[in-house]
Amino acid sequence: MSEQIAERSSAVGNAVVSVDRVRLGYWVGRDFHTAVADASFDVRPRERMILIGPSGCGKSTLLKAIAGFVAPVEGTIAVAGRRTLEPGPDRAVVFQEFDQLLPWRTVLDNVAYPLRVNGRSRRDAAAAAREYLELTNLGRAADRYPHQLSGGMKQRVAIARALALQPTVLLMDEPFGALDAITRQRLQVELNRIVAQTDVTLLFVTHSIEEALVLGDRIVVLGNAPSTVLEVVDVRDLGGPESVEYSQMRGRLRGLLAVDQEEEEVEDHGGLD
Amino acid sequence: MAASTSAPAIARPRAIGWARLPAWLRYTVIAALLVVVWHLYAVHKGPLVMATPWQSVQALWDGWRDGNLAHATWTTLRLLFEGIAIGIVVAAVLVAFATLSKFGEDLLAFLTAVLNPLPGVAILPLAMLIFGLNETALRFVLANATIWPLAIAVSTGFKTTNQTLVAVGRNIGLRRVRIITDILAPAALPYAVAGLKTAWAFGWRTIIAAELVFGVAGAKGGLGNYINDARLNLLPPKMFAALLVIAVLGVVFEALFGLLERRTVVRWGMKTS
Repeated sequence: MSEQIAERSSAVGNAVVSVDRVRLGYWVGRDFHTAVADASFDVRPRERMILIGPSGCGKSTLLKAIAGFVAPVEGTIAVAGRRTLEPGPDRAVVFQEFDQLLPWRTVLDNVAYPLRVNGRSRRDAAAAAREYLELTNLGRAADRYPHQLSGGMKQRVAIARALALQPTVLLMDEPFGALDAITRQRLQVELNRIVAQTDVTLLFVTHSIEEALVLGDRIVVLGNAPSTVLEVVDVRDLGGPESVEYSQMRGRLRGLLAVDQEEEEVEDHGGLD
Repeated sequence: MAASTSAPAIARPRAIGWARLPAWLRYTVIAALLVVVWHLYAVHKGPLVMATPWQSVQALWDGWRDGNLAHATWTTLRLLFEGIAIGIVVAAVLVAFATLSKFGEDLLAFLTAVLNPLPGVAILPLAMLIFGLNETALRFVLANATIWPLAIAVSTGFKTTNQTLVAVGRNIGLRRVRIITDILAPAALPYAVAGLKTAWAFGWRTIIAAELVFGVAGAKGGLGNYINDARLNLLPPKMFAALLVIAVLGVVFEALFGLLERRTVVRWGMKTS
């Protein structure tokens, strides 16, 4: 907890995303269920922040709140200093579902259309879309329709679409959660490359410790619902999966999440939230 | 034994006799049989009741050449298109209103529950009293026959639209009306086309029936009226000529809808052909 407070005070000036004492939940009939009891953290520019926690801890709800789909019951969320109320392209989201692409538009148009919505000319939008499709290695699929793509390709189109909007922060809600283990690993590597190339600020929700360690600069660990932030850990300089620090950190995260090894293995191979 | 080595693992029962013929030949044989039965029955009943196939085709040719049948067909189709066009506009406005407000939703639910089961022609006498014996009365009846099946289909399409697509729409910056036009409407297209098919079928039956009633009431024009005239003048060949036109148009429009579906929803993988 002390570490978390230290992080916050040091990053107040230049936070891209600032989550401050946020309480969140959802209504079931007349009963309010608190998912996140109290969460505070900051995401700094160009940082790759991971949000991790057990199933039902409200990590996805928290991401949706930052995206503007859900309003916090208490506390404030600010993006680039602005208190956000409505969803908008400055917080482009990559969802978990494969069918987040518009089936009636080609791959190219799926990426170009949001740019046109936001005032870019047709030519300009198409050129930018091509550029981002190249970046995600989808250049040759530009004229296909989404139903002709594999799950991994669909998620890459969604990533290209979100990046093309040049968001203040890129929000990803377990985007690889429904992929098979091999595709998932390949996309993690690819995402690392793309994020490094674009300098985008990333907030990534996952329930896989391995994924968090592969992708993250820092990790926000949420506890069980009604959840609080258990810890914010820095995993930048751990070294590879063979290093002692890496396995120590993995053990520490496992302890925090109270997951035994077996369960974690299962989740790593495509379990759903 | 050559046949057994080339047989697939799960062998279809070997086609024998009829099933081995190509499709076009099978249907041609059926058509030829029906023409023969029709001819024999027509000869048996006599020329004042039944026309033979040949007489019908001759009447079709004559009617088309002197312009009467073509004119009647055009009148019917024009009214049908006008009625369906009004139906589409009204249905679109109703469904949009239903999507934007709870009151609109309730209104649409109530109206479709009450008016959809009503056979289109049932309100023709009312329309004749309100509008007189003119085309406006027919347009009114046609619009009523097409609005409800369309509205039900499109609103079902809206309600079953994948919520992730709506979230994507909001995320890229679309607001209320553009969510409808840019996300919900294309997503509901498979339903809309199905609704249009039903609306066309309802409208087609309604206009022929309405023209028959109008013929009795003394107004002129349209295929229904053409049939009724032929009956009054004891000219069965003319009657059959009009019936042939109606049947052929039905087949043609079915094919056009099929083409529309292949070009859109099937191509986009939203409906399997």
